[in-house]
Amino acid sequence: MPRYVVERVFPDGLHIPINADGAQVCLAVVGRNTDEGVTWVHSYVSDDKHKTFCVYDAPNPEAIRKTANRNSLPVDKITQVRVLDPYFYR
Amino acid sequence: MVHSSQMAERSTTAREGNLLERSSELAALKAGFDAVAADRRGRLIFVSGEAGVGKTALVRRFASSLPAKVEVLMGACDALATPRPLAPFLDVAEVLGGEVERLATEGAKPHEFAAQLMHDLRERAPLVVVAEDLHWADAATLDVLRIIARRVESVGALVVATFRDDEVDRKHPLRVMLGDLPLAGAISRIRLASLSADSVARLAEPFGVDAVQLYQQTSGNPFFVTEVLAGGSHAVPATVQDAVLARIARLSAAGRDLVEAASIIPATAEFWLLERICPDGMRSVDECLAAGVLSAHAVGVAFRHEIARLAVEASLPSTQRVKLHAAAMAALADAAEHDPARLAHHAEAAGDAEAVLLYASEAAARASSLGAHREAAAQLGRAIRASRNAPDAKLAGLHQRRAHACYLSGQFTEALEAQQSALDLYRKLDDRRRVGESMWSLSRLYRYVGRGPEALESAQEAIRVLEQLPAGPELALAYSNLSHLYVNAEDADEARLWARRALELAEKLGHVEGRVYAEINLAVVEYLATQSADLVVEFERIFHVAQEHGLDEHAGRALLHLTWWSPRFKSYDVADRYYDAGLEFSIERGLDLWRHYMLAFRARREMDRGRWDEATQLAEQVIRDPLSPVPRIVALAVLGLVRARRGDPECWAPLDEATALAEPTIELQRREPAAMARAEALWLEGRDDAIESATSATYEIAVRRHSSWVIAEMACWRGRAGGRELVPGPLAGPHALELEGNWRAAAAEWRSLGCPYEAAMALASSPDEDDLREALTQFQLLGARPAAANVSRRLRLRGVRGLPRGPRGTTLRNRSNLTDRENQILSLVAEGLTNAEIAERLFLSTKTVDHHVSAILAKLGVKTRGQAAAQIR
Repeated sequence: MPRYVVERVFPDGLHIPINADGAQVCLAVVGRNTDEGVTWVHSYVSDDKHKTFCVYDAPNPEAIRKTANRNSLPVDKITQVRVLDPYFYR
Repeated sequence: MVHSSQMAERSTTAREGNLLERSSELAALKAGFDAVAADRRGRLIFVSGEAGVGKTALVRRFASSLPAKVEVLMGACDALATPRPLAPFLDVAEVLGGEVERLATEGAKPHEFAAQLMHDLRERAPLVVVAEDLHWADAATLDVLRIIARRVESVGALVVATFRDDEVDRKHPLRVMLGDLPLAGAISRIRLASLSADSVARLAEPFGVDAVQLYQQTSGNPFFVTEVLAGGSHAVPATVQDAVLARIARLSAAGRDLVEAASIIPATAEFWLLERICPDGMRSVDECLAAGVLSAHAVGVAFRHEIARLAVEASLPSTQRVKLHAAAMAALADAAEHDPARLAHHAEAAGDAEAVLLYASEAAARASSLGAHREAAAQLGRAIRASRNAPDAKLAGLHQRRAHACYLSGQFTEALEAQQSALDLYRKLDDRRRVGESMWSLSRLYRYVGRGPEALESAQEAIRVLEQLPAGPELALAYSNLSHLYVNAEDADEARLWARRALELAEKLGHVEGRVYAEINLAVVEYLATQSADLVVEFERIFHVAQEHGLDEHAGRALLHLTWWSPRFKSYDVADRYYDAGLEFSIERGLDLWRHYMLAFRARREMDRGRWDEATQLAEQVIRDPLSPVPRIVALAVLGLVRARRGDPECWAPLDEATALAEPTIELQRREPAAMARAEALWLEGRDDAIESATSATYEIAVRRHSSWVIAEMACWRGRAGGRELVPGPLAGPHALELEGNWRAAAAEWRSLGCPYEAAMALASSPDEDDLREALTQFQLLGARPAAANVSRRLRLRGVRGLPRGPRGTTLRNRSNLTDRENQILSLVAEGLTNAEIAERLFLSTKTVDHHVSAILAKLGVKTRGQAAAQIR
């Protein structure tokens, strides 16, 4: 399955509390993703919490947009990526 | 007998106890029924899971949990190699009786049957209807289910449909149908998982079986687990089949005989049939029921699961199996109710070629009349395999029928093969009328798969052969077929010539199909030339005539042309009235190929409207199921373009495939969508220099065909890429306005056509800063990242600073959340039409329109039609 980096912009910042409520939010997203065969691998969040770079496995870009819609998440840009491991070259 | 088996059934149920790990699924079914009972609006729930996971057990438990006064109608699809058409609904219709039973047994079309069934269900609401084992469903059953699904809210029933999800791959007709259904609102799904290790351990404990090994061996499959435990051995058999056989080994000899006899009869083995093929086993019925190997039904017994039946049947020595099948066939042949599909099944298993030929051919005729063309084709294939020694004339007829059934079910490769075989045999027999007929049928098949030169050659050959004989309807159809090829090539003169010849002959012969086919071709030729409103009326007229005479294919084609050309001529004002009608008609009549066209053009329309999610979803439905190249090209172009417009990855894979499908032909209808999409995607990537070469071949064809709309659109792309060539005129449409430098007028025209992206594209070519700013805002609203970036770059080059980043990620939505259909009806209300007039215009029932109008008033929060109309004025 292809891997994608999804850039999302949160004008008011992204605030997910690190407690049971936060876990609930994340699990709900993961749950809705499975309907479309989308897996949220993990995300990188900018220091100001206004931008995230999310790594996803998904069958195609439409599946990512569909689940983003269902989860009320913004999508700014989707890029298909492959892994480059710097230590592979040693 | 019936009395004792009912007793046995009750005790079996009692012994099975509680279903493990199914409480939430059971609750979901109950909640579904409670909702139906409360608001009288129907619901459809699909229950899926692997074989043996307990779908039937769940549904039975749900049914027995309902109050006794609630009616539950149950039916199941056949496990016959070629299923009987409408199998699950035959049982339901039998209970309902009256008109619906008559339609089911006399071979009515799926939409007629579905309409009557829905009517009967409405009268008995609220109730539960169960259709089991849809992975074996025939085409007619799926058509009926598709029709019910689209209107399920109106039937006041909870419809529960079960299937094995591990047996339906992406191309399975059921999977395709599921993909077409909106999984929201009235339709939902329940997926049953296997049992957990804990549950398996709880079940194993009283039997002293090693729970860990049992779980590993069975993967928690409930049927496998219960078979192992019921087998009574402490060792766990390697396969579920072994477990089944171990259980049967514990029966008496007579019991084993009975089970073995029952194993050759798929689904329910009737008592009378068992008496005929295994008279000595009958005294062991109660023993088998008590042991839980068989379960009791109204008229007979059945295995608890198809897995068990297959395991037993496979374990029979072949001589015994053949003997049992032959006995079953003889008994069924004597029965009052003659069922050729069942007879063919047993005849084949008994190796009786003569009987196979007889019954399979008969079963095919019955399937065809029900619109189950795929099953008809399979039955005919079976008949052909059995007819090595049949006379050539008979064999030729079978191949001819199979070719037609394959064509109607979109199996073109098989159709070509069968048609070629028929042709070879007719040649051998020197039956020249049939040779001519086969030649033009072959030509039609070549046309669908995009083999243009062979299509033309066969078309001409057919006419040569038939013109040497006294003129009959075959010749009229052969003329129309040739005309059709020229229509596709947009060669107006030749298309007219042959269509007129066909029309003249058909009128002389009084042959309706010949006339209708010729009239459609003529109307298309004139429409391509003039786009006159009179031709819209003409297509409607032809549609009604064709429908009256049961010529569904031609009726569908007439409807299709009302939307087909809208992307080229921007005739969305006309097309918008027919998308829904066309789709509904093709679904109702089981015209899969037409359905694909309708979906593809609808996808294109949604894209043009700026509703990109909807557009890709529709396009995917077409792409998933490879039937014919033309709708596929349109759908691939939509998918690729939406990706390109959003700046999403992977736009080239679909666009390259579209090009590969389009370029071997000279047909503009194929080349135009592919070439235009490439040009746009290249422009969005800033590869302006590649645009000319990507469009030149198609451009030349358009010039040769004087297709001014295509020329204007292509010239626009070349102009946007900096090309300045002399364009042959006169040109038409908003693209022509853009070429003249009239950007604002072009944008205004696009907006009035409901095409916001194209409006912004027109403004984006303007030298005026305000126009560019407006284009930028519109692109941002649509989430069109690359086009927005292109416009901002040019604005910045002019020294404009502080450009808004604008809203993002939103596509345009209708105000008040009206659906497409509601918007369409609202605009007709605003025109002052009554509901009856709207119904006629949209090919709907007045009741449906009443329903839509109330919904519109509610959504808009107004009380009268006048107030609603005022909102869009």
